[in-house]
Amino acid sequence: MNLALRDVRRHLARFVGTAAGLGLLLSVVVAMQGIYAGMVDDATILTRAMRANLWLVQRGTRGPFAEGSRLDPSVEARAAAVPGVHSARPYTYQLIQRQHHGAVMRIALVGLGWPDDPGSSLPLARGRRLAQPHGEMIVDASLGLDLGESLELAGEPYRVVGLTRNALTSGGDSVAFLSVADAQLVAFDQPAEAAVLERARVVDRLRRTDLGRAQPSLEELANDPRWRGPALASPPVAAVLIDADPHRIDAVRATMASWGDVTVYSQTEEEALLLGGVIQRARMQIGLFTVILTLTAAVIVMMVMYNLTLEKTHDLAVLKLMGAPRHRLLGLVLQQAWLLGALGYAVAYGIGQLAYPQFPRRVLITADLALLAPVATLVIVTLASILGLSHVMRIDPARALEG
Amino acid sequence: MADAVQAVELSKTYGAGTTAVLALDKVSLTLASGSVAALLGPSGSGKSTLIKALGFVSPADTGEVFFAGRAVVKDGVPLADLARLRRRHLGFVFQKANLTSFLTARENVEIACDFGGKPNGRKRARELLGYLEVAHRQDAYPEMLSGGEQQRVAIARALANEPSLILADEPTASLDSVRSRMVMELLRRVAHERGAAVLVVTHDHRALDVFDVLYEMEDGRLRPAARQA
Repeated sequence: MNLALRDVRRHLARFVGTAAGLGLLLSVVVAMQGIYAGMVDDATILTRAMRANLWLVQRGTRGPFAEGSRLDPSVEARAAAVPGVHSARPYTYQLIQRQHHGAVMRIALVGLGWPDDPGSSLPLARGRRLAQPHGEMIVDASLGLDLGESLELAGEPYRVVGLTRNALTSGGDSVAFLSVADAQLVAFDQPAEAAVLERARVVDRLRRTDLGRAQPSLEELANDPRWRGPALASPPVAAVLIDADPHRIDAVRATMASWGDVTVYSQTEEEALLLGGVIQRARMQIGLFTVILTLTAAVIVMMVMYNLTLEKTHDLAVLKLMGAPRHRLLGLVLQQAWLLGALGYAVAYGIGQLAYPQFPRRVLITADLALLAPVATLVIVTLASILGLSHVMRIDPARALEG
Repeated sequence: MADAVQAVELSKTYGAGTTAVLALDKVSLTLASGSVAALLGPSGSGKSTLIKALGFVSPADTGEVFFAGRAVVKDGVPLADLARLRRRHLGFVFQKANLTSFLTARENVEIACDFGGKPNGRKRARELLGYLEVAHRQDAYPEMLSGGEQQRVAIARALANEPSLILADEPTASLDSVRSRMVMELLRRVAHERGAAVLVVTHDHRALDVFDVLYEMEDGRLRPAARQA
């Protein structure tokens, strides 16, 4: 006869209520871990999706994600000429915020090096990659835009041609992929008034130089909105991505590292920078939350198990007097703790299935987490039953004779 | 008749120094199988202490207890697995029924069969409850039973492991005179029909005629008691 089940049957409502409470706590613990895993996955998807062997960024920076990086676009041609390099692609990254149909959208714009990189390596859920260098973009489904829908950026419509899933930044912002040229158009878009004022400043500077006074035609050029000064540099890129011969990567890297204007990172190093620099604080915060919640769950289970055992003191004394084997009485407490843990975990699982998809941040239940969560629950409830077990050991069977 | 249990010069003292109380003073007692004995005496005379010592719950400080001819406790030191002895060979009936609250009447009896290593516990529990005329209440929890029903279930539980010795501590204290007599006669029937030795602590002098032997305790000392005419 299983005493634990008999006792649960007798106090079913209270037991189920306790399990539900434990389940709620566990669901929060799992959610915290899932949010962290989602954050890591979201953060690294940006680097993984690019499938580059090496990342060239501005010298001395940890760009382009952990901090800003401005690289002259000529680096692309220089890198492509290095023996062992299959291709070099420009890459830009910037955060923008726009209103669309009344809703605020925060978008991480990633510029892809068209035509070498039309987004072939992106994990497309629907649609296609970029087919032209202007006016098309691939967006994450979390942005809420559908295929064929257009979003106005820098005064021009950009049509959604592909949808990705879970392409988010470490901050949870949805990513939109478009050509580098388009991304730069958006980045350097100026309101008309700002452009007029800028032209006025150029004309003013020309009037104060000998060259400007000697060649009045320059002033006319500066006033022409279609004119762009030949001495002005092209807009910078955030990084140049290198695809190289796997057998010659070390040599390629050594060559590029010797250049004075770039710092070279491998794919792994770029991911480490992203994780270490951007989400380290979130990792610590979530870790501490998890520890506190786990301890809270353990203490609650411990007190519940202790109280359940305490209430049965007289019953247990009688059973001890009758000569109940010790393992049967200890088993009663342990089995109830395990049952509580199992029910609690089932409740947490159910809550997770219903609630996690509604969370604003992605809750990623990794294989490790799916395995660890029930094992950790088992360990917690087992440790939490120690007080109850120790009470069972201390009960004097003579109490049963004391009325 | 064979001796079920024999106590030889049991002594036990509670407390120390000036507050020391001698609860058992060289008590010797033999209970034969198939006999039912009453243990009389005022409160604080040492009856419960003796029951605890004979039930292998709290051994006396000095003296020996033999069970089925074998020494099992000597000078407070167990010479055998006392919990195993209790579950295999002893039955207890208490002043209050002390049934396990989360088990039904039948399960209360069945668990004692289980502990005592008796097969077919469920069937045996039903039979015992039938023997004690409470089979119709087998699925009720203790709190749903009357005092008399609870006590009969408790006796059924005490019989579940076919004990050689039944120790009953004021089993009729919470019952009216009719039910008290019924319980006492039931214990005698168990002793005579099933061959168990039964020792009943009681204050109830109205049913002493059911007992084969009477003992009386006073200030920790045990002596045979005379029947009143």
